[in-house]
Amino acid sequence: MTTASGTQPVAASSSSGSGTAGLYDILELILDRGLVIDVFVRVSIVGIELIKIDIRIVIASVDTYLRFAEACNRLDLESGRKAPARLTDIVGDMVESGAKGTTNGAISGAVDGVVDAVGDFFGGDDEEKKR
Amino acid sequence: MSDAPTNPSPASPVPEPAPDPPLYVYAITGSDHPLRLDGLRTVGGIGGSLSAVVRGGLAAVVSPAPSELRPKRRDLTAHQELQERLMADGAVLPMRFGMLAPDSASVGRALEEKSEEYTRRLAELHGTTEFNLKAARAQDDLLREVLSESEEARRLNELTRDGNGTHEDRVALGELLARQVDARQRLLAGQVVQQLAGLARASVEGAPAKDDFLNVSFLVARAHAHEFTEAGQRLARDFGEGYDFRLRGPLPPYSFAA
Repeated sequence: MTTASGTQPVAASSSSGSGTAGLYDILELILDRGLVIDVFVRVSIVGIELIKIDIRIVIASVDTYLRFAEACNRLDLESGRKAPARLTDIVGDMVESGAKGTTNGAISGAVDGVVDAVGDFFGGDDEEKKR
Repeated sequence: MSDAPTNPSPASPVPEPAPDPPLYVYAITGSDHPLRLDGLRTVGGIGGSLSAVVRGGLAAVVSPAPSELRPKRRDLTAHQELQERLMADGAVLPMRFGMLAPDSASVGRALEEKSEEYTRRLAELHGTTEFNLKAARAQDDLLREVLSESEEARRLNELTRDGNGTHEDRVALGELLARQVDARQRLLAGQVVQQLAGLARASVEGAPAKDDFLNVSFLVARAHAHEFTEAGQRLARDFGEGYDFRLRGPLPPYSFAA
């Protein structure tokens, strides 16, 4: 599982469903889109709500502002882009462990818990190694 | 004098009809779809028990519902792989994960009631596939961009560095940054969608997750799938470092089935 999607600029292939990284990226399609027949029961699935919450953070909160300010204060203004692979790494980590969090991002802190929960979906499967 | 009512034993000479079990519903296709279901795993892991309920020119692929259902990777993968198999041979309406029907009769009724609608939708989706694109931009780059273009942001950043400045200064800086970052992300999202929309029949935007600025699905003619993939790769190259594009497809048309 070292070939996370983020290691390539664009990962596009016909084997879209296989692999943890691929599945993670389409999780929300499988769980939250697709046809619904309203006379049927949708099994209540723990955590689907969490995935919905895992959207871009609501911008208007003092907490968010403070994290943005802190991230900005921390920037090394001299160095310009210093970590070309950073975002890619973050995505990779998230996919691999689900629990690392992304301490580099100002807006990421608030959703770490959610990523934890999403990561737990994939725990417990025999082919998934335990953290 | 019959002993049947007083004999609950399963070995009764007059066997009860097998109870019609609740069903997990995967997808709807036309009844002329070949439905090559061999070798596929089921959601819940009961192998070899996939079947189809056929009614009104339509087929619903089902299996006995598992007693407990959680979105485990194994089950999500089973759901997804079945869609991929079906879409290889024709149009498919993939169900959302986790749809349960009380019995096969109710599946038949559901097909009958919406036969026209589902048939039309299948015809519209014939020869198409879904691509999903998620995109992120390194947050530090966004912040640097804001700083380089906003004098006020630079002033507040200087004021608040190394723990200096007031709480209000900090909040003011953060609010300015948040607004600017959000505006820039929206602009980027619009640019990306615009560059690919010409190759697609339709598009649906979803809420971007985490640090992403974009989450969009495109409905693309299968004949143009390769072209679309290349366009996505070209776009990722053009945006370059500091961006992360994840293009997935060809996918079952989850976003266009409803």
